Amino acid sequence: MITVNNRDKLKWEEGMTVQEVLDEMRYSYSLITVTVNGKLIPAKEYDSCILEDNSDVIVFHLAHGG
Amino acid sequence: MAAEKINITVNGKEIEVEKDTYLLKVLKDNGISVPTLCNHKDLTPSGTCRLCVVEIGHEGDKKLVTSCNYPVRNEINVETDSENVKKQRKTLAEVYLGRWPNVPAIKKIARQCGATDNEKYKSELTDDNPKACVLCGRCERACAEFIQENIIDFAGRGVDRYMTMPFEEVDPHCVGCRSCEYVCPTGAIHIDDDQNHPASGKTIRNYGMRINAEMATLDKNQCRMREVGTANIVDVMDEYDLLPVHNYKFGSHPDTYKIDSVMLKNKYFTQKSPDGCWKGCSMACAKTIDNFEIKTGPYKGESVVVDGPEYETAAACANMGCFDADFAAEFNFYCDTYGIDTISAGTCMAFIMESFENGIITKEDTGGKELKFGAAGEVLQCLHEMAEGKGFGVDYGQGIRWLKEKWIKELGAPRDFLQDIGMETKGLEFSEYVTKESLAQQAGYALAVKGPQHDEAWMIFMDMVNNQIPSFEDKAEALYYYPLWRTWFGLHGLCKLLWNDIVPTSTQNYPPQEAAKVPEHVKDFLKFYEGMTGKPLDEAGMLEQSARVHNLQRLMCRMLGYGTRKDDFPPYRAMGPVTKEEYESRVERYDKQLREKTDFDPEGKSTAEKMKVLREYREDQYLQVMNATYKRKGWDENGVPTIERLKELGIDLPELVEIIEINR
Repeated sequence: MITVNNRDKLKWEEGMTVQEVLDEMRYSYSLITVTVNGKLIPAKEYDSCILEDNSDVIVFHLAHGG
Repeated sequence: MAAEKINITVNGKEIEVEKDTYLLKVLKDNGISVPTLCNHKDLTPSGTCRLCVVEIGHEGDKKLVTSCNYPVRNEINVETDSENVKKQRKTLAEVYLGRWPNVPAIKKIARQCGATDNEKYKSELTDDNPKACVLCGRCERACAEFIQENIIDFAGRGVDRYMTMPFEEVDPHCVGCRSCEYVCPTGAIHIDDDQNHPASGKTIRNYGMRINAEMATLDKNQCRMREVGTANIVDVMDEYDLLPVHNYKFGSHPDTYKIDSVMLKNKYFTQKSPDGCWKGCSMACAKTIDNFEIKTGPYKGESVVVDGPEYETAAACANMGCFDADFAAEFNFYCDTYGIDTISAGTCMAFIMESFENGIITKEDTGGKELKFGAAGEVLQCLHEMAEGKGFGVDYGQGIRWLKEKWIKELGAPRDFLQDIGMETKGLEFSEYVTKESLAQQAGYALAVKGPQHDEAWMIFMDMVNNQIPSFEDKAEALYYYPLWRTWFGLHGLCKLLWNDIVPTSTQNYPPQEAAKVPEHVKDFLKFYEGMTGKPLDEAGMLEQSARVHNLQRLMCRMLGYGTRKDDFPPYRAMGPVTKEEYESRVERYDKQLREKTDFDPEGKSTAEKMKVLREYREDQYLQVMNATYKRKGWDENGVPTIERLKELGIDLPELVEIIEINR
């Protein structure tokens, strides 16, 4: 199980990447930062960063507009 | 997306690089020194000075290229120090030295390239000025890329080439932004303009240039403010179920693409250059449509310029169910022409439409107009009537609060339902965001001193998406900080967009709570204040400046008969689903909340039963966040600033204390 933003749960699958989590959550926003278990993941590694089961993923949206 | 990797060889060593990276960057990242003159970290490389020349080999061919603007696309062999390279660079440096022998930047490059002979290329062109222009072109690129102007450029050909403004005169379009001066490697450009008499122009320039550089380099991959302005938010809000559709019933719609930023950019916006919002602003986010042909009203058949649409206007169209960019442009034009706010006009009309669809009003009340969602032509008729002061337009112009009372009194309309769907607080119409799933933003809107507008607090992502302010106290802290920070912009006549519609990449390095503040930009603005006034200001000082005004505003609100608890409740549409249709459209979300947050099991229950429990839960949540926020702001349980708080802020003037006492 993957936990997103300390709230949402996603089913973990072998080889699951950060990008797949973003896609599943429909997080398409341009101003985000992502940490996995507290470690910052650079944007260019979203496709290659493989998640272990029980990972804690924080997808932090910076606001704009408003 | 993962970038494609390529292996190249540099001076015999293998290096893995991302495809399309400029070669100079690769060399610098690997600690290889390459002389440069025209290159600048914040500007597009141009290859003008040719000093960064290196030798590349690929499939048996060898050639010299300027590394600054050479994108790596093949498995090349790079030599940065070959005899050929050294010879080329030395010759170039000798030529530069011959022409500008006393410019420190040239002397430094000459040393790096082993050029020592000042005399070799000495000629009638030789300029002894140590601050001579060396024709590197950085200033021209800064003008174009930082603030999207072309005020300074090369003139002449060959040996007569020089840098100038048009016709050798100071161009009136130049606002003295100093971008050119900032990037000049020799000090050839000096701007005397200090008409605002800042305490330290240098401080202001240094922090301002960071923003200019961010706009030039980051915006295209962030919010695209230069490209489409705030219209970019239409796409984002629709994607996150936050775009108000049909009087805030829903948060997205299949037809949003007809009014989104892609549509507006491709088919509508024509002025791609900076507009007159603030001449010299490097964001230049206001977009306009030229030669738009008006179809209705007094300007019918005329070709006009439309200033927009911006996000709020486009979203107001979604709120009225009018997914038609032609309509959005005409609605925008007439609101501007008549002096009507597009937000109030859109939100009020959305309320009228829902009332019409529910039979609360009929064609008899609207002068024969069928005001259903999507009735674009009828909306424009109402606007024209409003401007002419006749027909239903007169009622429309009074706003939601007035309409509710009229319909209750004259038509016997159901008060509770109108209260629930009439999106106003304190008599002002809501701006265009769906707040149902963000408790903090419900309070952000409803507690805003001047009514539910978003420039006091916008915390939907922080709350609903990021879940970074989970407790009532966390939300209250955000509802304390952000309204004060945003008030500070207003206090100093500054635009808020440069704070968080462009974000430095280093923001990633801060923990989330801090990152949300965009801490480096907060620092930039405080430094700007210092540069202007000569007085240093820290975050605590900023908060105090704003808190004084914020509390004063609240008391003024009180004087106008609004600033207490009863005025701080949003209509239920802002908090949750008012109708069955709404609940059922997002049934999974609401049922989940009932299961997880209440003792109520939604299984097998009617929508009406579920809506009742959800409403009780959400209204109680709102009360708690409101109470916590009053406490954090130093207000009493009725939402009135306490005398102690006024004392703390040094504004316990007798006339203010009197307002508090009278209304206690």
